[in-house]
Amino acid sequence: MNIPSLDSLGRWFRGTSVYRSIVRHGVAETSRNRSLIVFENLFLHVHPVKVREKALRFKHTYWLGGITMVCVIVLVASGVPLMFYYHPSVPQAYQDMKELKYVVDNGVFLRNLHRWGAHLMVFGAFLHMLRVFYHGAYQPPRQFNWVVGVVLLVLTLFLSYTGYLLPWDQLAFWGVSVGTNMAREAPVIGDKLRFFLLGGNAVSENALLRFYVLHCVLLPVVLFLFLGVHIWRIRKDGGVKGPSEEAPDAFHEEEP
Amino acid sequence: MSALPPLTAVESNDPVETPRRVALLRPDLRPSVRRSSEKFVMAYPHLIIREVILFQIVVIFLAILALVFNAPLEGIANPVETPNPAKAPWYFLGLQELLHYYPPIVAGVLIPGLVVVALAVIPYARINLSAGPLWEGKDEKRTTQILAVAASALVLFFAGFQCWAAAVPTAAVAGAMYLARGGSTGGTWRQAMARLSLPQWIMTWFVILAAALTIIGTFFRGPGWSFIWPWTHMVQS
Amino acid sequence: MKTDSFRLRRVFAITSVAFLFTLAISPAKNYFREYRSIQEQFRKLGASRAHSLKDAKTYQNRPVAISQIWLRDFGNRVDRCTTCHQGVADPAMANAPEPHRLHPWTAHTPGDSDRMGCTSCHSGEGLATVRGDAHGTTADSSSPLTPLANIEAGCGRCHTSEAVPQAALLSRGRALITKAGCYACHSVRGHEQFRSEAPPLNSVAVKTGGEWVRQWLKNPRAMDPNSSMPNFQLDTQQIEELTHYLFSRPVNPELAAKVAAASQEAPGDAVSGKKIFSESRCITCHTVEGKGNGSAPELSKVASMASRGWLLAFIRDPHAFSPETRMPRYHFSDSESRDLVAYFETELKDFDAPEGILDPLHVNQTLAEKGAKAFRGLGCFACHDPAQGTIKEKFGPDLNGLGDKRAASLDFGRRTDLARTLPAWTAAKLMDPRSFSAGLKMPNYGFKNEDVQAIVTALLSLGSKPVPEAYHPVSHGTSAPIPGGAIGQLVQQYRCLSCHQIGTQGGDISTAPLTFEGSKVKRDWLVNYLMLSFTIRPILEERMPIFRIPKDEAEKLADAIESFYVNPAIPEDPFAGRPASDQNASEGQRLYVANGCRACHIIGPSGGYYGPPLTDTSTRLKPGWVFKWLKDPQAWRADVRCPNYGLTDTDALRITAYLETLRAPGAQKSSGGKG
Repeated sequence: MNIPSLDSLGRWFRGTSVYRSIVRHGVAETSRNRSLIVFENLFLHVHPVKVREKALRFKHTYWLGGITMVCVIVLVASGVPLMFYYHPSVPQAYQDMKELKYVVDNGVFLRNLHRWGAHLMVFGAFLHMLRVFYHGAYQPPRQFNWVVGVVLLVLTLFLSYTGYLLPWDQLAFWGVSVGTNMAREAPVIGDKLRFFLLGGNAVSENALLRFYVLHCVLLPVVLFLFLGVHIWRIRKDGGVKGPSEEAPDAFHEEEP
Repeated sequence: MSALPPLTAVESNDPVETPRRVALLRPDLRPSVRRSSEKFVMAYPHLIIREVILFQIVVIFLAILALVFNAPLEGIANPVETPNPAKAPWYFLGLQELLHYYPPIVAGVLIPGLVVVALAVIPYARINLSAGPLWEGKDEKRTTQILAVAASALVLFFAGFQCWAAAVPTAAVAGAMYLARGGSTGGTWRQAMARLSLPQWIMTWFVILAAALTIIGTFFRGPGWSFIWPWTHMVQS
Repeated sequence: MKTDSFRLRRVFAITSVAFLFTLAISPAKNYFREYRSIQEQFRKLGASRAHSLKDAKTYQNRPVAISQIWLRDFGNRVDRCTTCHQGVADPAMANAPEPHRLHPWTAHTPGDSDRMGCTSCHSGEGLATVRGDAHGTTADSSSPLTPLANIEAGCGRCHTSEAVPQAALLSRGRALITKAGCYACHSVRGHEQFRSEAPPLNSVAVKTGGEWVRQWLKNPRAMDPNSSMPNFQLDTQQIEELTHYLFSRPVNPELAAKVAAASQEAPGDAVSGKKIFSESRCITCHTVEGKGNGSAPELSKVASMASRGWLLAFIRDPHAFSPETRMPRYHFSDSESRDLVAYFETELKDFDAPEGILDPLHVNQTLAEKGAKAFRGLGCFACHDPAQGTIKEKFGPDLNGLGDKRAASLDFGRRTDLARTLPAWTAAKLMDPRSFSAGLKMPNYGFKNEDVQAIVTALLSLGSKPVPEAYHPVSHGTSAPIPGGAIGQLVQQYRCLSCHQIGTQGGDISTAPLTFEGSKVKRDWLVNYLMLSFTIRPILEERMPIFRIPKDEAEKLADAIESFYVNPAIPEDPFAGRPASDQNASEGQRLYVANGCRACHIIGPSGGYYGPPLTDTSTRLKPGWVFKWLKDPQAWRADVRCPNYGLTDTDALRITAYLETLRAPGAQKSSGGKG
């Protein structure tokens, strides 16, 4: 019996009508097909078909936005399984942390991944902001995208902060108590704001439930909305902008 | 089954070589075409593969972190047993450190509010868009005076509340700003400093301040928010 | 372009492999968890110990799984200890190495394992399947395992505030806590009504002298080794202030008059006093040069401790001076008490004492005022002036929930030498309370090492959460009330509870609890015994003192005991109306001999000294009680040494009948002349 080579098997598979119904373009050997790969794919089509070669260089962006984005993906991927094991109630929430360690397969790994991923996301977002600032990448036409970025930074902080309470340990409880006590000092609305956030006058089970809903539903939805706008805008504003001093050298004008 | 016929791809973006767009112009305008000598590459595979590699590296990094270090978990929340000190998450420790010096309304509301607003308006402030290097083409004397007044006001504001963690970096940044004067002929560092515009100086000052306050709040604060050395913890436990 | 793309592909290949590899580490770690290999060991061990092929197969086929005990009553907790300790209930695992070993037998194991789980007794983290976490050896663990030395603390979680017969250390610890008077300063659930025995300091000026008080405050134990007052480690200045304050306190005029009158009396006869002293068996509680029970003050220097007038007045009516004292009021005549004090003054005196140790002090008001502050600041009032201690807050910290305190929340202060654990902290607090930081107020009790372990055990039993209702120990109907009225006054006067137990109350000097005394002894015998008590158990050093109770009082007490302190479960007549002689008494005698009762009991001329002599059983004991005792001696007190022979009703009745035929030689009337 003839053992088909891997290559011929691949060719056969790409020729089947099922495959052709899903993927309409051919092998990525031609530029046409390479373009088709990008704009026929929902997930890739935020990319332009062509990018400046310069934009691929490490020093152009230090990939900081990318790192932050990967963190978002990691956080969703580890956060959703964690939700299966978590009850936002007292004292079960804390017991669930123990169960993650003692019973759930890979529970500790998931929790650690989520925790460190969250820290990296805050850190990455902050560095990304600095990079954009020092490269002057907020200048027209990118003004609005900078504002969207600031909103995203604030959302990231809120996400991290609401998640901080969920383990319901001493660290969580007092960390959130200290933070929300600061919010109380806001003039006029301070106390009301805190009451609204905590669902009461102190950090309690109500606060845990509110933070849980904020952390798992409301804030992620808002984050993804803004993230969509942010990434869409990068493309619409002409791609990522690197160090500003490059610009004058890159163009020269010519009479037609 | 036959593959689709390949198209001859146009690899050039040169508008002079391969004009693809027609533009209508008013006759009184002098049309010019910008030619970019920039090289363009296909997003697939050049960008996409880099993104996938980035993804893998970040995940590997996080996974190793998650395998080596366990996320902290203390005893169950107990409203009666206040830990000393009770600390917020690290990214708020700079604010908590300020809270030690300033009334809560300043440290907890005013300053963070101002920071967010200031960040949001950056692209709309004229100075941010048009500013050149700080000392370039300006009356050096006047700039020095303004710098001296602003810096001493800020240092006094911080020192008045014994907030040395903010006062010292502020003074240091002001000093560096002054040193950058005429630095375009100096060494690499001075040259880099001389290139910084006023907004960049302000941002640098903010970052150094935030980092100093956060580091002090995270590592140097013990019971009753007293100053301790980071290794004091280790001796205790 | 080509090479760049090639390099990129190579990087991509490397990162892809690394990516898959790193993501596989956690599942692999998960697969090689410690409990899996422990369960594997257990299967092998079980198979090697199995007696049949089928048993061995059963062991080998055990699935690898987390096993847990669900404790519904304890807040829906689970204990997963059995995941690793798989042999705890497996008799084949006796003497197996840990963690596979069979749990030793206790009153609750294996019977209550499913109901109580593991952590309700042993503490530790029940949820954990990782060794360090389960045993709480990791830093800042919420619930570390109770150390073996204090293991009985677990018993005390349910058996709150009572003596637990099978937990000797716990019971001793609790007794020590009561004796040391800890409850005066620290609040502990169930001991809110605690009153210190310390004397109210309202007659110091007429009792003793300034120099004596100074020496006493310096170190009470040096003056009286039996004293329960701790050493407050006072400096000279504080001692001076407190002394002046104590002498400045107003003296109760009634007591002052009594002492003044008594000091005017003529001296008694010391020789007669010495005789009265030994006849009255004072050393049942007191000591003289260390000889005696030691639950009351050492008397070898008593005449250098208090004035003659005070001693006389005190012996005549101790309760007027110290309402909470355990000392009974004796019926000494005026001349008898004079003789006793004369004996004290000739022999029980500190001959090395400085001149004028009992001279009154001239009070300096400034010092006295400072002393008053010190008296409050040091917490002296908590024991010596309970009226002032009616302030709701106790002087010291609340001890409830101490056993569940996390080590991280404890203040170790200067004590960097200690292990960071709750038992170590508690022990150090007891050994040297002031060593933690300056300004601590707890005095030094001078506990011995073994006492500290006992007290630590008792303190660790103070859990923060009360155990569910269903787990409260069933008390065995022992809550016998103390009658009021005239009888109550007599019980008070003779301080029966200082030595005897009635229900859950009372001291432990006597081996005879009075809870069911009415079902035990015959009335006429009891009346005689109260009037002139004699030795029942020859081996014991502590004997009932002779109070010189008048006949009418003895009869009242005996009647009260006969009517109050009876147990309905004990039949008045075990022979069901038929005369004792109907039973086969000679068979009973044979059984008495065959079971070796003679080893401990005397009948007639021969027998052992451990148990009470049985020669006069028929005059002393009621047959119903004898019968019930023979059936189960430990039912009355768990620490009874008399073995339970598992006698049948018939045999027990026969021995009862045999004992019933015995008569004391003096009271021989119609006995069969046996024994």
